[in-house]
Amino acid sequence: MAEYLQPGSVEEAAGMIASHGSSLAIVAGGTSAMRYSAPQAEQVMGVRGLGMNNIERSSGGLSLGAGVTMSQIRESLPIPALQDAARGVGGPAVQNMATIGGNIFARQPYGDVAVVLLALDATVTFSTANGERSQKLVEFYDAGAQADGLLTRIDCAAPGGELVYLKCGRRRFNSPTVVAVAACIGIDNGKVGNACIAFGGAGKHPMRCVAAEQALIGKALGDASIKAAAQQAAGACSPGTDSVATEWYRRRMIATYLTRALQQIAAG
Amino acid sequence: MASKIVSLKVNGKIEELVVSALMTLQDVLRDTLDYTSVKEGCRQGGCGSCSVIVDGELRLSCLTPIQEVDGSEVTTLEGLNQSNSITALQNQFVEKYAAQCGFCTPGMMVAIKALLDSNPNPDREEIVEALAGNICRCTGYLPIIEAVESVVAEMSGASGE
Amino acid sequence: MAIKDLKIVGQPVRLRDLDTHVTGETVYYEDVRVPRLLHLKMHRSTYSHAKILNIDTAEAKSSPGVVCVLTHEDLPGKKKFNALAGVGVGPEDESVLAFEKVRWKGESVVAVIAETPAQAEAAAAKVKVDYEELPVVLGIDEALKDGAPVITAHWPNNHYIFPENHRAAQVRFGDVEKAFAEADHIVEDSYETQPIEQAPIETNGCIAVPVGENRITVYSNTQGLQFSLDTTAGILDIPTSKLRFIGGTVGGGFGGKVDMQVEPITTLAAMRTGRPVKFKYTREEEMRVSSSRSAWRVVIKDGVMNDGRIIARKITTYQDSGAYLRFSSYGGMKHCGHMPGPYTIPNVWIDSIVVFTNRAPSNAMRGFGVMAGSFALEVQMDTIAETIGMDPWELRLINAYREGDMKSHQKEVEDAGMVETILTAAKLAGKQLPEAFQNMSSFDQKAG
Repeated sequence: MAEYLQPGSVEEAAGMIASHGSSLAIVAGGTSAMRYSAPQAEQVMGVRGLGMNNIERSSGGLSLGAGVTMSQIRESLPIPALQDAARGVGGPAVQNMATIGGNIFARQPYGDVAVVLLALDATVTFSTANGERSQKLVEFYDAGAQADGLLTRIDCAAPGGELVYLKCGRRRFNSPTVVAVAACIGIDNGKVGNACIAFGGAGKHPMRCVAAEQALIGKALGDASIKAAAQQAAGACSPGTDSVATEWYRRRMIATYLTRALQQIAAG
Repeated sequence: MASKIVSLKVNGKIEELVVSALMTLQDVLRDTLDYTSVKEGCRQGGCGSCSVIVDGELRLSCLTPIQEVDGSEVTTLEGLNQSNSITALQNQFVEKYAAQCGFCTPGMMVAIKALLDSNPNPDREEIVEALAGNICRCTGYLPIIEAVESVVAEMSGASGE
Repeated sequence: MAIKDLKIVGQPVRLRDLDTHVTGETVYYEDVRVPRLLHLKMHRSTYSHAKILNIDTAEAKSSPGVVCVLTHEDLPGKKKFNALAGVGVGPEDESVLAFEKVRWKGESVVAVIAETPAQAEAAAAKVKVDYEELPVVLGIDEALKDGAPVITAHWPNNHYIFPENHRAAQVRFGDVEKAFAEADHIVEDSYETQPIEQAPIETNGCIAVPVGENRITVYSNTQGLQFSLDTTAGILDIPTSKLRFIGGTVGGGFGGKVDMQVEPITTLAAMRTGRPVKFKYTREEEMRVSSSRSAWRVVIKDGVMNDGRIIARKITTYQDSGAYLRFSSYGGMKHCGHMPGPYTIPNVWIDSIVVFTNRAPSNAMRGFGVMAGSFALEVQMDTIAETIGMDPWELRLINAYREGDMKSHQKEVEDAGMVETILTAAKLAGKQLPEAFQNMSSFDQKAG
C-alpha cells in the first residue's frame, strides 16, 4: 500500500525523488497524477504545501512557480494567451486544482498551457539532489520529458511578438484537446522577424514546429506565407488517434487552427 | 499500511481521523463521515458529482488526497443545507424541475454556491461556464441554468419586489 | 372525456423525490450504510473470441484481503441465463461466468471478493486464464457470411431464430414486388447507426446483504427490479421468496441498467461469504462493458409515384446484438413494429434480423428499436422528396396515416393525430404550406 510523503521543503522533495526514483509519483493539483501515476506508485509525494505558486513579472519577463494553478493564471496573470489556455483546462474545480507544473507533464492530448509556454520559449528549473538545474522546455520535451528532480519554476522572457493561442476542442468549455496552437510572431519592417509556433495534440508531447516557423521567417505575414506554414505544420506533426479525435482529423485541424491563429495576428 | 491522523473541519464540525496513504477526500466524506451527497460518478475528475468546497474554493473530492486537506475547511451539500444557505436555490430547482434522477444535483448545487459566492450577479454565459465541470445526463442543463438565473434575479431584484 | 376534464394530462406533475434531490438526502443504493462490506471486482476476458483452456485462481485466492473467488464451477445451478427467459424468450445463452469460451472482450470470467476495492482489483489482476484464440467476427456482414465462425451453437448462422424458425421478425402486407414494377420511382438506400453508450452519471451496481439464515436483501439501481430479482433467483436456484430487492432510485438509466449483470453474482458472493458484498462498475466498465444501444443497419427500398404517394416499402434491418441476445429479440420486434413509419403504405415487406457478433452485448436505450428506425425512415423521406422534386413537408402530409387506415401490421389506425402534429410543427417552425395542405386532417378520406 502506498506511502504518502509530504516534504517540508523543495530540497527535501528533491531528496525523496532521488531516493525513490520511478516508484514515486508527484501530486500537485492531482487532476492528472491521481488518475494516472499515483494509483500504481509505492510512494506518493504531495507538493501543494511547498508554496511554489509565486507569479513574478518584470520588464524582462515572467517567472512562475510550478504550483501556480489555472485559476491563479486567470485571476492574476493578464497574458491573454495563457489565460485562454488556462480557461480551457477542465471546469472551475479542475482549474482551482490543476497546476502549470502538472500541465507540463500532462499526457497528450492534455497539456494546453505547456503549448503556450513553448511558444514563449520557456525555461524550466528543477530542484535535484545535486542542486538546481535549468533547461529550455523545448529541449526537455525533445529529450523525452524525463525529470530527475522536482519542477519548481518556469521562466519566460518577454514575448518577441504578438502571442495568440487557439484550441480545437469538442465543447466550448471543459473539453479535452483535439489540437491546440500557440503562435508568437514578431514583425520587423513588414516581414516576420521571429516566429515561435507550438502545438498540442500533435505528437507525444507539446511540440515546437520549426518547419512552420521557417516558412514564415523573412516573409510578409499574409495568405501565401500562412498557407505555406500551415502545410508545413500538417506534414511535420505526428498526431495520434484516441477517443477524442483521429490522426486524420487532427492533421487537418493543425493546419486550420494555425491558419486562424496567424490570420488573427496578421489582422493585428 | 502507514496511517496518519488528519484533522479537518467538515460542515462546521471538527473531525479527527485516522487515514491511510491514498484515501481521498471523497472516500472520507462518504464512507467515514456519511456525507453521502458527495457522489462517485467517475473517480476521474470528469463528471463533477463529487464537487465540494475546500477553503472557499470549488474542488473535486475524488482527486484530492485526504492528507492534502489536513487543517482545511470542507463544505458539502449537507453543510449548505444545515446552514440554510441555499434555500432559494433549492426552491428554484424544484420550481424549474432542475433535477430528474438527482445524481448530479449535489455537485451542481455546490458548484452554483461557489459561483454565487464569488459572483452574485452572473449572466447566462458565466453560469454556463461555472457549471462546465458538472455533467448532467437527464435535464439537458437548461432547467438548471434557469433555476440559477431565477435565484440571481431574486437576489438582485429584491428591491424591485 | 373532453380535454378540459383532464386533471393530470397537460399539468406539471412534481417528481416524487425532487425535495430530497435538492438537499442531497435521496438514498441511492451506494448510500445505504452496511457494516463489514466486502467488494467484488470482476476479472474479464481480454479476447473477443477464444476457448478457455484453463482458469488459475490460486494466486488471486492468496492475495491480501481476498475472502472468496468465484468461477463458473461455483454456480449452484444453471450456467447460462437470459433475463427474458421468464417471458418465453430463449434459449438462455449468456454465461453468468464464462466457461468453455469467451465471446466478447470484457466478458465476466472470475469474480474476486475482498475487504477493499483496491485489494479486489489487485487480486483480480492475478487471475490467470489460458485461452486458445478463435476467429473473430466484428461486423454484421462478416457474421452473416456463409461459413462464418459460429459464436453460439444455438444460432449456427449468427442470427437469432424467431419462433417458427424464422430468420427475422417479419411484416408481409400486400405485394411489394408488384408495386415496385408499377412505381414511377425507386428510391433505395442503406442507413447505419453506431452503438451509443447511455453513460448515466451513476454507474451500474448493487449491494447484496445476507439476512437471517438464508435470505438476501439486494439494494440495486436496476431499471427492472422484478427482472433482476427473477433472474437472480433463477441463476442461484432459490425461491424468489428468499430475495428482497430494494431499488427504484436510479441515478440515470436510459436503458443502461437493464442487463442484470451485477445482482446474480453479487448475491451469490453474499451467500458464500455470509457478508454483505458490493459490486460497482467503474466508469471504465460502464463505458466498455455495460451494454450500449445496438448499432443498426436499415436498408430501405421504396416505390414512389410522381404525386408523392409511397406505394411500396421494403425494409431489411440488421441489429448488432453483440455476443449475446439480452433483449435484442424484443428490440428487433419493436423495431419491426415501428417501421414503416407513421405513413399509410399499401405494400410493405419488413425483415428485422438480430445479428450476433463478438462485440459487447448491446441492449436498450431510450426508444429501444425506434431511434435507428426513425433516423433511417426520415432521412429516406427527405431523399424521396429530393428525388421527385417535392417539398419534404408536403411529402409527409400526403403519406401520413389517417384515421381508420389499415397499417401494415393489420391494425386499424385509431386516434390519428399525425397530420395535425405536422401542421402544428410547421406553424411553429415558420413553414408556409399551400392552403390545400393546411386544410388536411387525420379525418380526410382514406389515403391510397
